[in-house]
Amino acid sequence: MERIKDNEMKPTEIDRILATEEPLIPTSGFLASVMERVREEAEAPAPIPFPWKRILPGVVLVAGIAAWGGVRLVRHGLPELGPMSLPMAHLPAAAIQPVEQAGWVALALGISAASWLLTRRLAGRSGLL
Amino acid sequence: MTGVLKTAQQDHTDADLADIDRVLGGDAQAFEGIVRRWQGPLVNMAWRYCRDRGRAEELAQEAFIRAWKGLAQWRRESSFSTWLFALAANVFRTELKRFPAVDLPLDKAAEPYGAAVQFHALEEKSRNDVIRRAVLALPHRYREPVILFYFHEMDVAAAARTMGLPEGTLKARLSRARALLRSRFPHLETRHAEMEFAAVNEGKEA
Repeated sequence: MERIKDNEMKPTEIDRILATEEPLIPTSGFLASVMERVREEAEAPAPIPFPWKRILPGVVLVAGIAAWGGVRLVRHGLPELGPMSLPMAHLPAAAIQPVEQAGWVALALGISAASWLLTRRLAGRSGLL
Repeated sequence: MTGVLKTAQQDHTDADLADIDRVLGGDAQAFEGIVRRWQGPLVNMAWRYCRDRGRAEELAQEAFIRAWKGLAQWRRESSFSTWLFALAANVFRTELKRFPAVDLPLDKAAEPYGAAVQFHALEEKSRNDVIRRAVLALPHRYREPVILFYFHEMDVAAAARTMGLPEGTLKARLSRARALLRSRFPHLETRHAEMEFAAVNEGKEA
């Protein structure tokens, strides 16, 4: 047990006051109250686990779409965007379309991710997770 | 305070282990022994965090419930008391962040000497109470080291373990906190020096 030693940590009046405090005795009902809550918790049904198995196909699908979107973007979007030096408005429609599609896919993925995070958070707060 | 913590920590290890094994085996009622042994220290610890008796019991109850739920996570590498105090400190910190207790700046802490206080004992009690409450007016990063240092009977290592901080960090924060308190209540240092001087003189005369 390391106690205060050096000058800076030399015991002072403040130490004496803070170290010598009358102990607080818990009220008579405290123990019973804690045990009642423990019993309630023990009797409560087990929390519902997050349905990973059910959600897995959805996750795979979303990941597939994301991968597909990425591939499309790399194959069609980027090569045509590469030499671009003018604003988008001047690009031919054929070049804009894949970029637009990729944008929509990215937006959809973002919304999905946000809703998934929100669901997780709400479920966590309610004690389901 | 000294008695509460020491009494709880002495000879309770075996009883705690037996009760924990029973709880983990499915006997929720066995948790009563743990609560019985540790209710004093946890309520006192919570009291130091908020200085509100009702709130202290609520916080201590919450800590016990978390301990009951997380009992299987105690790896038995550290002592049960170390684990329990660290968990309780975490609960108190989180709960008090959501619903803070007193959160006054230090310079707004009351003056220790009130004009209406007539009797010496009452005056001292009142002054001590003000100093203890002033701890809650310290900035957050210094407040908890002070609370835990004195709760653990000025044991730096125990306070550091409860906070999960290196001892050096805790010492530095403690030192800063004490400096802040000293600057807020400078007359206490004068008084301490006077008392020491008187004690030395008494010793010489004897």
